[in-house]
Amino acid sequence: MINLPENELTVAFSASETTVLSQPNFWRRAGRSLLHDPVALCSFAFILLLTVVAVFAPLIAPYDPLRQFSNGLSFVGAPVAPNGHFLLGTDASGRDVLSRLIFGARVSLLVGVVATGLASLIGVVIGTVAGYVGGVTESILMRFTDMVLSFPILLFCVALIAVTGPSTRNVVLVIAFAYWTYLARVVRGQVLSIKEREFVNAARTLGVGHIKIIRKHIIPHLIPTIIVYGTLGVATSILIEASLSFLGIGVPLPQASWGEMISEGQQYFQSAPWLLVAPGVALILTVLAFNLAGDWLTDLLDPAVQEMGS
Amino acid sequence: MFGASRSIKAVDNVSFTLQPGETLGIAGESGSGKSSVARALVQLTRPTGGTVSLGGAPVTNLKGQRLKRFRRRMQMVYQDPYDSLDPRMSVSDAIGEALSVRGLPKTEHAAQVAQLLERVKLPATIAQRHPNQLSGGQRQRVSIARALAVNPEIIICDEAVAALDVSIRAQVLNLLKDIQHDTGVGYLFISHDLSTLRFMADHVAIMYVGRIVEYGTSEEVFSNPQHPYTRALIAAVPSVTRRGERRLKLSGEPPDPGNPPSGCPFHPRCPEAVETCRTERPELLTIGDAQKVACHVVQWGREKTPKTEVTA
Amino acid sequence: MPTDHVELALLNDAVVVVDNLSVAFPSRSGSGEVIRSISFSVKAGQRVGLVGESGSGKSLTARAIMQLIPAPGKISAGEIHVGDDLTLATVASAKKWRGTSVAMITQDPLSSLNPLVRIGVQICEMLRHHRNASRADARRRAVELLNAVGIPNPKRTMRQFPSVLSGGMRQRVALAIAISCNPRLLIADEPTTALDVTIQAQVLDLLEKMSQEHNSAVLLISHDLGVVANFCEEILVMYSGKIVESGPTQDILDGPLHPYTRALLTSVPSMTEELPARLSSIAGSPPAGGVDVVGCAFAPRCSLAQAICSEINPELRQLDDPFHDVACHAASDALWPSVRSQ
Repeated sequence: MINLPENELTVAFSASETTVLSQPNFWRRAGRSLLHDPVALCSFAFILLLTVVAVFAPLIAPYDPLRQFSNGLSFVGAPVAPNGHFLLGTDASGRDVLSRLIFGARVSLLVGVVATGLASLIGVVIGTVAGYVGGVTESILMRFTDMVLSFPILLFCVALIAVTGPSTRNVVLVIAFAYWTYLARVVRGQVLSIKEREFVNAARTLGVGHIKIIRKHIIPHLIPTIIVYGTLGVATSILIEASLSFLGIGVPLPQASWGEMISEGQQYFQSAPWLLVAPGVALILTVLAFNLAGDWLTDLLDPAVQEMGS
Repeated sequence: MFGASRSIKAVDNVSFTLQPGETLGIAGESGSGKSSVARALVQLTRPTGGTVSLGGAPVTNLKGQRLKRFRRRMQMVYQDPYDSLDPRMSVSDAIGEALSVRGLPKTEHAAQVAQLLERVKLPATIAQRHPNQLSGGQRQRVSIARALAVNPEIIICDEAVAALDVSIRAQVLNLLKDIQHDTGVGYLFISHDLSTLRFMADHVAIMYVGRIVEYGTSEEVFSNPQHPYTRALIAAVPSVTRRGERRLKLSGEPPDPGNPPSGCPFHPRCPEAVETCRTERPELLTIGDAQKVACHVVQWGREKTPKTEVTA
Repeated sequence: MPTDHVELALLNDAVVVVDNLSVAFPSRSGSGEVIRSISFSVKAGQRVGLVGESGSGKSLTARAIMQLIPAPGKISAGEIHVGDDLTLATVASAKKWRGTSVAMITQDPLSSLNPLVRIGVQICEMLRHHRNASRADARRRAVELLNAVGIPNPKRTMRQFPSVLSGGMRQRVALAIAISCNPRLLIADEPTTALDVTIQAQVLDLLEKMSQEHNSAVLLISHDLGVVANFCEEILVMYSGKIVESGPTQDILDGPLHPYTRALLTSVPSMTEELPARLSSIAGSPPAGGVDVVGCAFAPRCSLAQAICSEINPELRQLDDPFHDVACHAASDALWPSVRSQ
C-alpha cells in the first residue's frame, strides 16, 4: 500500500476550481446563427418590413384604401391595370390596390398577432393547470381540449361567425378559440416533463409554494415552446383570416383584407390578373416568412433548451 | 385515463433512528428502495404506512403551514448535479429562493449568499454564474449551500457524489464532513458505493427490495458483515488493494420489486439459503450485542444451521 | 515514423496501434485539441485499461479508434492501425473492420441496441452482414451466443425487445453481439458504470471469460481504478488528453510515479484499511477540454510542481522499470528520490 505523508496531497494551491464551460451568450449565438442562415435572415427581414408597413400604413399608402377614384375605372367600368398613378392598378370599385394591400397587411398582422396572443394565453393557462395539477382536473381539461380540437377549424369559424356576425373583433376571437387547443396540448406535455425534473423537486423540498414554482420554474422553461408555436400560429391565423374573408365572413367590407381581395381577384382573374396576383403573392410570402422563421427558431431554441438544462 | 394502477411496495416496514450530528448510511442496489426512503422522508411522496418523527414529533402527512415549517428542518441534496439546479436561475437566485423560504428579506440575501458560498468553499464571484457555467463539483456545492440556507437539522444526501469524478468526490465528502463538524447537522447518506459509506457513515443500513437486511455501526457492518447479501455486496466491490483475490460472486439479478420472491426476498440468490428461507420472512433482530440482521441462518447461528439443499 | 511503428507492432502481435493521435474540435481560440498526441498499442489477447476522469479524453479515444468521433470533431494528427494486418483506420476503411476486427460496447446498451428491433433480429443481422451466414445458421449461432453470455432463456430473449431486459442483461446481449464476429479487439467503454455492483462483477467476469475464449484483446475504459485494477494487465492513465503514466498494473498500483495517479489512488476510501479523518483530494478541477495548455496540464493542481512544469510539457518516457512510463518532470528528476522510492 502506498504510504504518503498525510498532507502531501491536500490543498497545495489556494486556486479555486476553474470554470469548465463558458457558454456563449444566447443572443450572440442567435445573431450568429441568423447571419449564417440566409433563408431565416430574409424571413425576419420580411417580417420586419411587413410590421413597419402595417404600423405606418397611413403614412406609406399612397391613397385612402376606401376611396373610389373616378380615374380608377376605365371607360367601361373595368379595373385599371398598374400604371403611373396606381402602381398595382385598381380594383372593380376603382380603389387603389397598393393602398388596399398595405392596409390589408395591417389587418392580417393585427389579427394574426392578437389572435395568436390570445390563443397562447388561453392555451398556456389551460395546459399548465392540466399538467401541473393532474388528476381529474387534467382529465376534464384535456377532454375539453380534445373536443374543441376535433372540430374542423374553418367550419367552426364559419358557424361561430354566422352566429356572432362578421367583424374584425369576432374574427380574432374565433381564431383564438380554435387555435388555443394546439398550444394547450403541447404545454401540458412539457409541464408534465418539467415537473419531474430534479430542480422542481428541490424547490418543493425547500418549501416553495406551488404558484411560485409555476411562475419561477415552469413557465420560464415553456417560453421556447411558446415562441415557436406563437410564430407558427401567426402564420396559421393569417391564413384563417384570409380564408374567412375570402368566404365573405371575415373582416367586413369595405375594409381591405387580403382574403377579400383574393376573393374579388378570383372573379376578375382573366381580365385583371393583378387583382389576384398582388394579394396572393403577399399572402404566400407572409405565411412563408413566418413559417420559416418559426422553423429557424425551433432549431435555435431546441438544442439550447437541452444545453441550458444539461 | 381512469385505469387501475398497481402499487409497488417500494419500502417495506423500514425503521431507523438518526442521532443529531451523526451520519446514517443507507446502501443498496437498484430496486432496494433507498431512494424511495429519501423521497418519502422529505414528503415528496406520502408514506402509505408508519410514521416519521423528528425530535419526537410526528411529521408524516403534514399539510400547509406545518408542512412548510417541517420542510426547513430536513433538506436534500440530489444525485444529478446537472438537473437539481434550475438552469435559468443564477447561483444567487437559487440560494436566494431558499433564503426567501426562510423568511429572510431580499435586502439581506446578498450577504447570506456570500456567507454560504464561503461555507462550501466556493469563490464569491460564482454567485452571478448560471449552472451551465459550473462544473459538476461546483454545482453540488451550490446545492449543498442551498440546502444549508434554511438551517436544516438533517440533510439527506441521495447519491450526492455518485455523478462526480473521483477526485472531486473526495473534495465534496471532506466538505460534508467539515460542515457536519461545524454545524452539527445530521446526514442520511444514501449511496450504492460502499467505500464512500464506510468513510461517511457512523451507522449503516443495508437495504434489499425495500427492507433493511442488516443494520449496525459502520465498524460492525463492514468489518464483520453477517447477512449473506452484505457479504456479497462487500465482496463485489472491486478494490485496488485486494485485487486478484478470488471473490464470492453473486449470481442472478435483483428481483422485480413489484413481484418479490416469497419468504426472504434474497433466497433465490443466497448461497446459504435453506428451506425456511423460501417460506418465512426473517425479522430484523439483534445478533448478540452487535448489529441487527434479517436472516434466518444468521439468527439461528451459522454453525447450527442444517445444510439442506433448497429448491429455489 | 508510422511505418516503423507499424512494423514494430506487427512483430509484437499488436491488434491496434495508436500513433501520435490528436483529436480536435473546431474552436475559435486555439487548436481545440481534446486528445493531444497519444501513442499506445494493444497486443493480441491482452487486457489493457484506460483510466481517467471526465475530460481526460478516454472515451473519445475509443471512438477515435472506431472512427466514430462525434461531429464536428476529427482526427487532427497521427494515425491508428487496427486488426491483424494493422490496416490504417479511416472512416472509409471502417466498414470493413468495424464489428469484425474491432467491436465496442458502451455504457448504455440501450443506445447501442436499437430499442425498436427485436434482439434476435439484431444479432442475426450482424452475423448475416459480416459473415454471410444463412438465416438458419445465424439464428442458431445467435442462440449459442446468448447462451454463452449467460442469458437464461435464449430462445425467448431472441423474440424480446431490449427495453424489457434489465441493465445487466442488456450488457450481456451487447457483449454477445460484439463478440459474434470474433473481433481481435473489444473496446469496452465504461461497460459497468451504470450497473449495480453485484451485476458489475458478473459482467466483468463474463467479459474476461469471453475475451479468453475468443482470444480477443480488451481495451477497458473506466474511471474506476478498482475495476481496472482487477481486470487489466496493463494500465494507461490519461489526464487532459494525454497519457501521463503507463505500465503493468502491478507496477502502477504498487509504485505509482505520476502525482495524479497517486492522488487518484489515495482519494478513494479503502474498504479494509483504517480510514483517515479526511480523504486526500486534489484541489481544483481538470482544465476544460479543447483549451490549449502550456506545460504540464496537471501543474496547477500538483503539489510537486516546479517552474519547469508550467513551461515544458513532460514527455512520456521510461524511468527505471521497463515498460513503466511516466510523463512528469518531478518523477524523472534525480533530485526527488523520495518520490521514486515509494
